[in-house]
Amino acid sequence: MSSTLTARRPGSSFKRRNTLLGWSFILPNFVGFAIFTLIPVIWLFYIAFTDWNAFGKANWVGVANFTRLIGDSSFHVALKNTLYYAVFHIPLTLAISLALALLLNSKLKGVAFFRTAAFFPYVTSIVAIAVVWNMLFSPDTGPINQLLRALGVDNPPGWTTSADWSMPAVIVVGTWREMGYYMLLFLAGLQTIPRQLYEAARMDGANAWQRFRNVTVPSLRPTTFFITVMLTIGSFKVFDLILVMTNGGPGQSTLVLSQFIYTKGFMENQLGYASSSSIVLFLICISVTVVQFLVNKRRDA
Amino acid sequence: MATSTVTTLVGDLHPGSGRSRAPRSARRRIGRLVGYVALVIAAVGVLLPFFWMLMSSLKTNNEVFTIPVQWIPKTFVWQNYVEIWQKSDMTTWLKNTMILSVVVTFLQVFTGSFAAYGFSKVRFPGRDALFLAYIGTIAVPWQAYMIPQFILMSKLHLSNTLWAIIALQAFGAFGVFLMKQFYETVPEDLSEAARIDGLSEYGIWRRIILPLSVPAIASLTLLTIVNTWNDYLGPLIYLRSPELWTIQIGLKTFISQYNAEYALIMTGSVLSVLPIAIIFMLGQRYFVEGIATSGVKG
Amino acid sequence: MNRSIATGLGIAAAVTLALAGCSSSPDTGTATTSSSAGVTAEPVTISLAGWSLATTPEFQTLADAFHAANPNVTVDLKEYDATNYDTQMIADLAAGSAPDLYVLKNLKNFFTYEDGGQLLDVSDVTSTLDSGTSGLDAYTVDGVSYAVPYRQDSWYLYYNKDLFDAAGIAYPDGSWTWDDYVSTAKELTTALAASGSPALGTYEHTWQSVVQGFALAQTSGADLLSGDFSYLKPYYDRAVALQDSGAQVTFGTATTNSLTYQAQFGTQQAAMMPMGSWYVATLLAQQVTGDANTFTWGIAPIPQLDSSTTGLDKTPVTFGDPTGIGINPAIDESKIDAAKAFLAFAGGEDAAKALAAIGITPAYASDVVTAAYFGLTGVPTDDLSKFAFSTHDTKPENPVSSSTAGIQNILSDAHTAIMSESQDVDSALSDAASRAANEVLNQ
Repeated sequence: MSSTLTARRPGSSFKRRNTLLGWSFILPNFVGFAIFTLIPVIWLFYIAFTDWNAFGKANWVGVANFTRLIGDSSFHVALKNTLYYAVFHIPLTLAISLALALLLNSKLKGVAFFRTAAFFPYVTSIVAIAVVWNMLFSPDTGPINQLLRALGVDNPPGWTTSADWSMPAVIVVGTWREMGYYMLLFLAGLQTIPRQLYEAARMDGANAWQRFRNVTVPSLRPTTFFITVMLTIGSFKVFDLILVMTNGGPGQSTLVLSQFIYTKGFMENQLGYASSSSIVLFLICISVTVVQFLVNKRRDA
Repeated sequence: MATSTVTTLVGDLHPGSGRSRAPRSARRRIGRLVGYVALVIAAVGVLLPFFWMLMSSLKTNNEVFTIPVQWIPKTFVWQNYVEIWQKSDMTTWLKNTMILSVVVTFLQVFTGSFAAYGFSKVRFPGRDALFLAYIGTIAVPWQAYMIPQFILMSKLHLSNTLWAIIALQAFGAFGVFLMKQFYETVPEDLSEAARIDGLSEYGIWRRIILPLSVPAIASLTLLTIVNTWNDYLGPLIYLRSPELWTIQIGLKTFISQYNAEYALIMTGSVLSVLPIAIIFMLGQRYFVEGIATSGVKG
Repeated sequence: MNRSIATGLGIAAAVTLALAGCSSSPDTGTATTSSSAGVTAEPVTISLAGWSLATTPEFQTLADAFHAANPNVTVDLKEYDATNYDTQMIADLAAGSAPDLYVLKNLKNFFTYEDGGQLLDVSDVTSTLDSGTSGLDAYTVDGVSYAVPYRQDSWYLYYNKDLFDAAGIAYPDGSWTWDDYVSTAKELTTALAASGSPALGTYEHTWQSVVQGFALAQTSGADLLSGDFSYLKPYYDRAVALQDSGAQVTFGTATTNSLTYQAQFGTQQAAMMPMGSWYVATLLAQQVTGDANTFTWGIAPIPQLDSSTTGLDKTPVTFGDPTGIGINPAIDESKIDAAKAFLAFAGGEDAAKALAAIGITPAYASDVVTAAYFGLTGVPTDDLSKFAFSTHDTKPENPVSSSTAGIQNILSDAHTAIMSESQDVDSALSDAASRAANEVLNQ
């Protein structure tokens, strides 16, 4: 962590000055954030302990919603599917986007075009993506299975029409969509690594892999931390992609927590119950984030 | 595959070792070749769905979903692109989406980087807890607090105006988080030197830190534009009047009204990607490369 | 210091919201008695919520017809999104910005609005309506009516006469059971393939209602809310067998290729199609614009469970939900009379004639209405079609209850599991039953 001013006179006036200073920087953003985001979120925490249904009064029910969650089999399915998605999606996307960034952080010809191409999936409307990939994954007539059959696979998977293969299909599309986004962030991070560090390492006789491990990786740490946190939270919160591609199906094979929340809240109008489930999702995300925070802080020291 | 290519290329990128033996240059050429091949394969994998989308946008409706898949249309129906402007209200949607993107991005970048400076360079009590609260809100799914937020917005008479979307997106935690992480890569020595020279914290932010974080700002700009461009649920709830619609809402409505017209749906999708793709293609050099030698001296 | 500021802000905001929340809960008391015929003489404007106004003309038709009969009342339409209508409406009602009158798009969510106190008591209006108007019961809870139905859809069997002729098979005659339907579909597929046509015997769309709606309506004693879904089994067995035999596109192909029922029947990819009555208007419009092919078609009564309800001397059983309009309790007191007058009009014969003239099946039925409907250009005028339109016992797809939405969602999952053949019928239905017991019925 960057060291702050320590050689000045300590004491309460210094602290007050710093507090005022800090707040003056934060205030423009914080005012909007507090009103439009923080307050509804705090309100959400309150609703989770009630039986609100969007109209009328919210009656306090204590932890009844949470007890109900524990016994709810759909909730368990959603939890399991969310973890399934996250466990595969996070490392896959991280590795691919880092590889792409390293590959494209060069002066190869056409790098501009390739960078744009990698970014295309993220920029496209999710509805179009769902339609196109569903068509590509079509079990009887889609090109992917046609290719597999041509390669000799007798019984190609049913992809989005099969309960076993729907989640892998979604993971593939999710990674395809997001790798350009995280590649861009890695690229920006790579660009801030000063050349001198690589020069110095080369002078010391380090080979390419050693330069990567000893210069690139440590210098990228704040970026990697940011990307890992956003990727993790994003994976646990995944919603639009699944909603338009498979709608949680077939059956409940791709039902994730966000969709569970959406169904309970908006299809069945049980906002109190949906809020309690949101809190569980929030707790999962935040504990993973805190762990990542601590690991990062320890590495820093 | 990736690792060996990567290490070879990374080796390539930082020339100047001075010793160019024959084996090394041959290895370099092979490395470059492998690199190109990898890129081409990756590009095909990425662009294939788009290729299909683009081709389908030029087909007649019955040709879009055929068994087996038809990659190239029999006849190119360029008329589709004219029809979509006529049948739908693309101009209004584009205009609204552009306005939102620009305003939200400007506010996000400005207030976000300002706040990020406070979070990363100034120490004051409660700072870390507050920052954790920021990140915490990212962890809450939006549909969970959508209704309370909508009620609040309606009470403030912001609903059914573009201001609602601006209010929602411009002060998000994402921008603050991103900028803070980048600020932490800037060594404190610079600010120290500036402070000794008598610069105020605001001056340091404006003259030293901000110019250095151009790549990060460029990334944030691009990502915010894309996020605003792609936002569907927000406009669905807050932008009801058809003259306020953005591209995503317009496209969705168009799809549900003309649901047999797949060719036009693909045309609309291609059109919705095009502006962003052009902006990115033209500006990505500035977005990503930044100031190449702006690295810290000494 | 900074902490207390934050806390202060938080408390102030929470208090404001709490007060706002309290004040937005409306009272559901009955309105003052007023005769539905009395409309004030001063000009009044009432707002009505509708969806996809550009392609759904029924709302404008009602608004214009009412205005013609009551020139001092103007009905303003507010546009909502067709697929997310309920989400938007709930958000607006919660925030107090919903229009004076709004359409109840489906019966599944009617309970939410009624239970949430978002509908005014309109029993005084419904008591003046013809008691044979379909759907009145659906909107009555504990003896109190909350909405007026203006439209009642039912499901028929659409069939393509030209394809039947090409296959050399006799048209439906109103005497079919589901077994007759299945065997005809298979014969059609074979015969059409032999004659070189790519069309299949039938097209059943991917919605859960295509299978479940009929099962619920036609099986006596079937109760959605009981949690016992065994009545679905014979219908699912038939549906899976139909797609396995090739007489019907597989569910997987239909979903991944986003097939639309309008295109499947309209471009003659299938010779038969069970579908709701709203499709008549769509097909007519598409045949005019060229999006659908030009061919001769007709409607027949839907196949029955057994021969006890088949034949032109009996009443075939089908399903369909009414569409109604209700009044927002937050409506301005001075506008209630005008709003109630609009409701009375919407459920009456004049509105029914106007709706029938654009191809909508109104809730109010009479010979006059039937004549108006069949006067529309392009509507098949053979006797069987007229019989299918006018004679049916239409049961609701969604019983009104707090558990309906939850159970329908569970059954939707069962539907996709069964039709994608990821799970066999028996285990999927028993899973659905245990989920219903665990998640919905025991709450």
